[in-house]
Amino acid sequence: MNINKKQSQNFTLILFVLPAFVFFAAFKLIPAVLGLWYSFTNWNGINPTYKIIGFENFAEIFTGDADFWRAMLFTLKYVGAAIVALNVCALVLAVLIESARKGRSFFRTIFYMPNMISMIIGGYMWNFIFTQVLYYIADNTGLEFLNKSWLGDPKYSFTAIVIVAVWGGAGYLMVIYIAAIQSVPTALIEAAVVDGASAFRRFISITLPMIKQAFTICLFVTLNSAFQVFDVVFSLTGGGPGRLTQVVAINIYEEAFGRSNRLGYATAKSTILFLVIMLITLVQLRVMKKREEEM
Amino acid sequence: MKKLLSVLLVICMISVMLAGCGSDTQGTSVASAAPSSAAVSGQAAASSKAEPTRATLNVMMSFPRFTDQMEAYLNQFKAKILAEKNVEAVINLEMPSSDQYGNIIQTRLSSNDAPDLFTLHASADLPTYVKAGYVADLTSQPLADKLYDDVRKTVTIDNRVYAVPFESTVWGYLYNKDIFDKLGLKVPDTLDQMKTVVKILKDNGYTPFELAFQEQWVPQLMTALTLGGKVSGSIPDWTDRMYQDQGSYKEVAEIFDVIDLIMQNGTKNALDKGSEQGAADFANGKAAMFVQGTWSAESILGVNPDIKIGVGALPVNNDINCTKINLATTTSLAVYSGTKEIETALALANYMLDDKDSSALYKELKFNPVAKCHSFAQYSWAKEASSYVEQGRSYRDLVLPNAVTDEQGKLLQSYYAKKTTKDEFIKVMDKTFKDANRAAAQAK
Amino acid sequence: MHLSKKAGTGTVPVTVFLCAASVFCLFPVLMALMNSFKTKSEIFTNILALPAHFNFDNYVRSFNKMKYFTSFFNTLAIVVIGILGIVVFSAMAGWILCRTKTRLSSFVFGLFVFSMLIPFNAVMIPLYRVAKILHFSNKIYGMGSIYIGLGVSMAIFMYHGFVKGIPYEIEESAYIDGCSKAQMFFKIVLPLLGPITATISIMNVLWMWNDFLLPLIILATPQKYTLLLSTNMLFGQYTSDWPAILSGLILTVIPVILLYALLQKNILKGVVDGALKG
Repeated sequence: MNINKKQSQNFTLILFVLPAFVFFAAFKLIPAVLGLWYSFTNWNGINPTYKIIGFENFAEIFTGDADFWRAMLFTLKYVGAAIVALNVCALVLAVLIESARKGRSFFRTIFYMPNMISMIIGGYMWNFIFTQVLYYIADNTGLEFLNKSWLGDPKYSFTAIVIVAVWGGAGYLMVIYIAAIQSVPTALIEAAVVDGASAFRRFISITLPMIKQAFTICLFVTLNSAFQVFDVVFSLTGGGPGRLTQVVAINIYEEAFGRSNRLGYATAKSTILFLVIMLITLVQLRVMKKREEEM
Repeated sequence: MKKLLSVLLVICMISVMLAGCGSDTQGTSVASAAPSSAAVSGQAAASSKAEPTRATLNVMMSFPRFTDQMEAYLNQFKAKILAEKNVEAVINLEMPSSDQYGNIIQTRLSSNDAPDLFTLHASADLPTYVKAGYVADLTSQPLADKLYDDVRKTVTIDNRVYAVPFESTVWGYLYNKDIFDKLGLKVPDTLDQMKTVVKILKDNGYTPFELAFQEQWVPQLMTALTLGGKVSGSIPDWTDRMYQDQGSYKEVAEIFDVIDLIMQNGTKNALDKGSEQGAADFANGKAAMFVQGTWSAESILGVNPDIKIGVGALPVNNDINCTKINLATTTSLAVYSGTKEIETALALANYMLDDKDSSALYKELKFNPVAKCHSFAQYSWAKEASSYVEQGRSYRDLVLPNAVTDEQGKLLQSYYAKKTTKDEFIKVMDKTFKDANRAAAQAK
Repeated sequence: MHLSKKAGTGTVPVTVFLCAASVFCLFPVLMALMNSFKTKSEIFTNILALPAHFNFDNYVRSFNKMKYFTSFFNTLAIVVIGILGIVVFSAMAGWILCRTKTRLSSFVFGLFVFSMLIPFNAVMIPLYRVAKILHFSNKIYGMGSIYIGLGVSMAIFMYHGFVKGIPYEIEESAYIDGCSKAQMFFKIVLPLLGPITATISIMNVLWMWNDFLLPLIILATPQKYTLLLSTNMLFGQYTSDWPAILSGLILTVIPVILLYALLQKNILKGVVDGALKG
């Protein structure tokens, strides 16, 4: 009887899960498995046939692919800068908005707005600012520090990319921080005010510990998206000049759909990126779990 | 019973879902069938004149800067074919940027999603595409007989004509004649003479070279010219050996002498500047020379119709045998062999060399005449370039793998940004060439 | 929510700073808007000034070039297909996975959750291949279906969590009344899922509407382009014709800004809930 019940339960289960599972299997599960498989082949996308070449792709990546590693390094640099810049800006904005007397919802609306716009569109708008407007301002106001090859010189284009990333992403993190700050019990703060704690002190000793969870979330959200960054760089520099501002996602895209069409080789690269991101996510899950246990 | 109900429900849902997808495909087939059914009903309604048959052509070209002119020309074609053959043509023109064009067309061809007509590079791409069976034979078309013999050769493979040449050019670098004349400068034949010219220009407050390196194909032109000169002048077997993995860029390292000279004496912010902007700046006299083909003449004259443009051969060293002009048929139009509208597609290909209208188009786009139907005179700069050819100082554009040409452009960008050294350039290019050879061998 | 007690920080500098930050946020959009009405030469003479007159020529040009209506409706169709699939299928699956306690259910649920760890980059290239084999490449329904496949795992996870918080008694009593599972789901459970459905819809609509890389790979012809792809094409074609490009950018931004203006509160709430639950 019990077995029968289990069976019928599973039967209904399958019926209800099936539609979602079909799509999920076709467009996520199977591609993920195929990806691992392709990374051991020399598939080039045009030829119908390909063969298994073992670890050759990986060996080539690790020994001879300077561009990939430069892209990896650039990505790491970007990840570091983006995490700090985004979270600091978002937190500052959140705190200031919450302490402002007027116009809270107005400011929140404005700061979140760039997040609605795709980074492709935002990037092209900034492209206009960097290649036209800033030159104009520099020529006409004498603000010489603006007169730089913002997108052409990798020295500055890194800064440009981070600026645009902050423009587009800070609003998202900000609303998360605001929600966290709002959940801080007012009584606690009022008590601190009575005790004569300064605003800064109150922020450090009361607000900050209370928003730790939001901080963790934001940290990993940025970490995850920064590692896969594509749109901003694509619309600002396209990875150029040369490949000097290529991030890993662009390098993989170029390898697969640009120049050589070496799809097998490109999937090997994406497998490496996958492993890196997986590692980070596992660390994230552990940290989150630990935190939950502490609470 | 309940189980049965839920089974039925889910089956219903799935079938609705599948029907949804199915009806989508039907939707497209209905849409494509619609014109004919509309034509049928139309015929019933309008009995006096036969309703035109409809034909949809997808056309893809690689020069976005000529979008407006090409669209106008295609509209003329539509009017003509409607009047003459009673065909109502719908033409979708796509113009991806030159940087992306090669990838896009390759993907489309290999995924059976090819446009009916598309442009390609006559020397670099045509042989490959013909071999792959993508290109329709145009030998028996009227257009084939109109082509000048020397131009016809550039689009002929195994005695069959496969493309309509658009840009058949004799090119080097461009210079501003007014500036050269004012300072009494002569077009240099050797690197030392070039250095003197650069010095005089600078002494007189002119910037010698216009640099616009944002798109990688523009700096790439420097390699096209210097390699072409060096290889044809002193190591003619270099290309063949490179294809057999037996050569190296070390042998041509000399090309950097003039590349350095250009880069060190050029306009600022080169990597922020696109080719159009560069053309505009050159037109406005911001620099005396511009390493750009004659194909940019249209853009330059569009900004400043009064500018006098000259063409010179870029010296690589002090050997005058290496200072030659580049002969190339680049962009040409091919008909896709698998097109469903072969009649209309061929009509359009022929219309490109139409006796009545073609001259105006080629003239407007500042293309050189390629066929007997082209009645307009050569431009002054084209004449100047042709004079090199008459002296025997010209070479056929080198045929290098696409991946190699792209890489040269990208590396020069990063060389300009001082992030790549000459040695790295040589190393990476040797590797890229070998990889391309390997990929080509694999494709066979 | 009365944190106004904090006002001791000095409101004037705070307001000034926030205003400055707002200007920074709006600057690129405003510059694009202003210059989209100018002629090319007007841009070069004074890029910071208001346009001399409102000249809509640029808009007409980019509107036609982008095939705006086609692109807009392509995007809309993709998003509608995607969101319907994600919401209905995930709600079904998330609910049943939560309510069934068998080994199979925890395995399937585990599979969905685990797959959330797989970044898009790792499936991108094989996905291109799968789409081609299924004849889903360069198809609007194909794009929508792929979004369903990529979107369900997160949505199932969120529905699963939400259903956990709904007391089982409601369903139990319906079950005793002779309701079948299917009836129960559509009549009783689905209406209860309203709040989480709103959150999931907002998250996914924003994602699909603003996604670039996937359509770039899957959609090949301009007839099938989404708004972002058309805008990107515009950028490639008018290399230095900024007025045309900028007007195209503004045209692409308009629907999003309208949506934001109308649903601003819901969007912000949905985004926060999504982030905290996801």
